[in-house]
Amino acid sequence: MANYYNIDDILTEEEFVPVVFHKSANGVIIDPSSETNSVEQGAKVELPLWLAQELYLRQAISISVPACFNQKTRLEIQADAACVDLKFRSPYFYEFGCKIAPLVGDKSVEILLLSAFKIRYKEILTKAYTAAYTATSKFFTLLTKEETNLYEAAQSSMVAFKKWRMGGPRLQRASVLGRKRKLIE
Amino acid sequence: MAGQSDPHISLFSAEEVEFMAEDELIEIVPNMRMDPLNFICGDFGPFLPQIATQVPLWLAVALKKRGKCAIRPPQWMSVENLTRVLEGERDTQGAFQALPFHYVEISRLLFDHARDDIPDMYMVRSLVEDIRDVRIHKVETSLEKFSGTSAVKIPNLSAMEVNIIRPFVGRALQAFYKHDNPEKIPDVDRAPSGHTRVANNEPRRPLRR
Repeated sequence: MANYYNIDDILTEEEFVPVVFHKSANGVIIDPSSETNSVEQGAKVELPLWLAQELYLRQAISISVPACFNQKTRLEIQADAACVDLKFRSPYFYEFGCKIAPLVGDKSVEILLLSAFKIRYKEILTKAYTAAYTATSKFFTLLTKEETNLYEAAQSSMVAFKKWRMGGPRLQRASVLGRKRKLIE
Repeated sequence: MAGQSDPHISLFSAEEVEFMAEDELIEIVPNMRMDPLNFICGDFGPFLPQIATQVPLWLAVALKKRGKCAIRPPQWMSVENLTRVLEGERDTQGAFQALPFHYVEISRLLFDHARDDIPDMYMVRSLVEDIRDVRIHKVETSLEKFSGTSAVKIPNLSAMEVNIIRPFVGRALQAFYKHDNPEKIPDVDRAPSGHTRVANNEPRRPLRR
């Protein structure tokens, strides 16, 4: 329950997963182009993860592997994990995989995530500490939210250290004291 | 132990680490006479001219600013010792040389305030900077090597270096732990265990309007 209020967790569950309905459902508008407001048995639709989880518990659907973990992505990651654009697939790639894995029952997702993360982590490490300025390289667009957090944490602490090394006044005036309030008559 | 800096990024800012480093004892040679000073952290003095006494660093800097003492640099800050440490850092790839925990902050404070008390100041300063660069580089290369572990132990690292890598290593280890957990995927064939919620499929009563 520690993640209930976590914004990243909520947004992770917003991602779509393909599901197959086992029972038919009435009164739902999932497919805007269909005429009737219902879904038949055996229909394939895309639902957000939070909805899919609940329906899965009621045994109304079965979840298949989402599109971002398909074979094409796997081949790309095996080729060179550091250059794969994971943010395009989904900005919450890793968390999404962790949530999907017990529902789909596919163990290879887990191993894929771990190996991809290990390789990309090395890249993040080298780039975070050596860049003297925030390099607007193509690398940033490839990172998921989690990796971006990691990168920014390292970057900010390095920048703070360099600023301290330069010197400067020990005591700084608080920014709240900057403006003088006018008396309201 | 949280400081005033952003709690999401790191626990201590660089200034806070410097503040804590100022508690280290250092030797001074006063040039005036003063009664003992009684502080909460301890009593220091009496100060007699030309008699060396040990005081905390913040007190030494304050006295130096008022021109009441001369600071004697600590033992480890001599040119020979630092050259030896630098050679050791360059030779051993995995281990770090034993240096005082706050050497970065102490050296910076002494360079700023007690410039004339250190013999061969420029040499000492460049040596300390070199040592620091080599060590940070070593930390980064050793961080690349670990993967898939939950705990990392690096002996002989100084306070400022630890502060630099603290947020990054914390988050990275968390992420590794999350992904590497082998217990996470239950078999789909097993019957649901007690802690998974079982949905209630009874027909629902209409709510009263």
